[in-house]
Amino acid sequence: MRMVELLRNDRGGRAFLGLLALVTVAVPALNLLLPEGHPLHVSTYTVTLLGKYLTFALLAIAVDLVWGYLGILSLGHGAFFALGGYAMGMYLMRQIGDRGVYGNPDLPDFMVFLNWQELPWFWYGFDQFWFAALMVMLVPGVIAFLFGWLAFRSRVTGVYLSIITQALTYALMLAFYRNEMGFGGNNGLTDFKEILGFSLQADGTRIGLFVASALSLAGGYLACRAIVTSRLGRVSRAIRDAEDRTRFIGYRVEHVKLWVFTFSAVLAGIAGALYVPQVGIINPNEFSPINSIEIVIWVAVGGRATLYGAVAGAVLVNYTKTTLTGVMPEAWLFALGGLFVFVTVFLPRGLAGLMRRREAMA
Amino acid sequence: MKLLESQFNAAREAMRRDRVFDFMVPADNPRLDISHNTILYMEDVSVSFDGFRAINNLNLYIDAGELRCIIGPNGAGKTTMMDIITGKTRPDTGTVYFGQRINLLKLSEPEIANQGIGRKFQKPTVFENQTVFENLELAMAGNKRVWATLTARLSPPQREGIDEVLETIGLTEHRDRRAGALSHGQKQWLEIGMLLMQNPRLLLVDEPVAGMTHQEMDRTAELLTSLAGERSVVVVEHDMEFVRSIARKVTVLHQGSVLAEGTMDQVQNDPRVVEVYLGE
Repeated sequence: MRMVELLRNDRGGRAFLGLLALVTVAVPALNLLLPEGHPLHVSTYTVTLLGKYLTFALLAIAVDLVWGYLGILSLGHGAFFALGGYAMGMYLMRQIGDRGVYGNPDLPDFMVFLNWQELPWFWYGFDQFWFAALMVMLVPGVIAFLFGWLAFRSRVTGVYLSIITQALTYALMLAFYRNEMGFGGNNGLTDFKEILGFSLQADGTRIGLFVASALSLAGGYLACRAIVTSRLGRVSRAIRDAEDRTRFIGYRVEHVKLWVFTFSAVLAGIAGALYVPQVGIINPNEFSPINSIEIVIWVAVGGRATLYGAVAGAVLVNYTKTTLTGVMPEAWLFALGGLFVFVTVFLPRGLAGLMRRREAMA
Repeated sequence: MKLLESQFNAAREAMRRDRVFDFMVPADNPRLDISHNTILYMEDVSVSFDGFRAINNLNLYIDAGELRCIIGPNGAGKTTMMDIITGKTRPDTGTVYFGQRINLLKLSEPEIANQGIGRKFQKPTVFENQTVFENLELAMAGNKRVWATLTARLSPPQREGIDEVLETIGLTEHRDRRAGALSHGQKQWLEIGMLLMQNPRLLLVDEPVAGMTHQEMDRTAELLTSLAGERSVVVVEHDMEFVRSIARKVTVLHQGSVLAEGTMDQVQNDPRVVEVYLGE
């Protein structure tokens, strides 16, 4: 009932969710039911690749929520994604048990390598899935809350805020590069074996992760949609368009920004947690500023303030990236820059804007 | 035993579920005390920006229910005065009270707005990407905390309230139009309508007729005079003709303090005012 209401004026969203449902059913079916040589068979590699795109799409939605609807251009959302990823990575590390290279049942390999004798306190609890799942949301959430509390209360806005978010992710990257931090230094966390007792190499697990990513994406979409169609969503857009005015009609602008930003960071964290078991590694590169900028480009390409546009942008840009880096790896950054310039100049409202224009003409 | 019982009663009182704790209740109008018939006090207020004294020992009192016009040459401190009342600028010295009890210098902008002071800016600022109706809905008085706005639903009486304001500002047939598509004059009215939705006790209106046609000006004059009485209205305006058409009492600001106060005729015949406006 509530869902029908959420999607009533959202043609793009209905199309997106329909397509997502189709993909979620069809891809596993084509993988499991058809023999390997069949022309329509979807390889497990492709399933995982698609699953990765879906986690990027969830991340793009999170950025669209704060940028498209609230006007906060965050150039640091990659940090929340990576933090969620690290929380999941720590769980996966603990699942390795004594199957590591050094065979130490209590310590992950990199700690043995560093000659550590015991597990640091912040690794406690990560052998439990529920605890890791909680941390996936809590750690990005708390960091976003603290960061937002300081930044929004001081009324830092616009370009300055973007620069600080960029600094946040850069600082975290430098910190995570250090071996003493206890997160595996520049090698990060890898060599995962299983999740919840299922082998990560098994086709079934890969499909399970793919389906989980799809469901999280759908859930994230509906949650964001619930926010943007509520009065809080209208207040957000009011803040985006005329912040002072919103303050003078009695809204605590800082609080709105803080909570929406925190929620968005939690979504990004969940996306990161789903990403890590599918790619099999998390390292400090995920914090690199360029990653966060790339996310913003996905959203710009797809079209701001539509949510489904962010999904389309994330999938298309990443598909292009996969294809192009396969053929000409050195050309990718130029292509990305060119794409951004092209979209800014010719498609200021992104692909979603293109669709809307056609609708208006028809 | 007696002590234990009283402790127990206190505990039970604290656990009662049919009321909200005092600190949870948003500070609201009941605190506004206008028993002395004055709604706004500004006393000995001074503020300087980089050594320039924008407001200099300003004393201003606004009566409950009055319509006051404030005039003065450019740089007289009119907008700064409004900034101080609404919490955008903090004065260096002086006191500003809303009614007898509410110290405005201790409140933030949203808190001041929720206490019942509405402000219309010089440049019409409405939320251009939202409809006229949505603009009014956003401005509506009520709980404006984050969670409350997430779960808010319009009740039928609230809907009627919005329709009523739409009628008052004459934008009923534009209710579903994007506010950005309105004409300049209509935007000004929409902004006044948004002020009304806040249900304020004191309205601060900065240059309401800038850029309006004569017809629109007449309607605005009508609108503003109809608002005074129940509420206090402070209008800052350059257009003398307009001020003459609505004003009962006029305050002239000059170099950050009050130069003259009285009816339009008194003020216009005051030699100091003539000097300021016309030069030597």
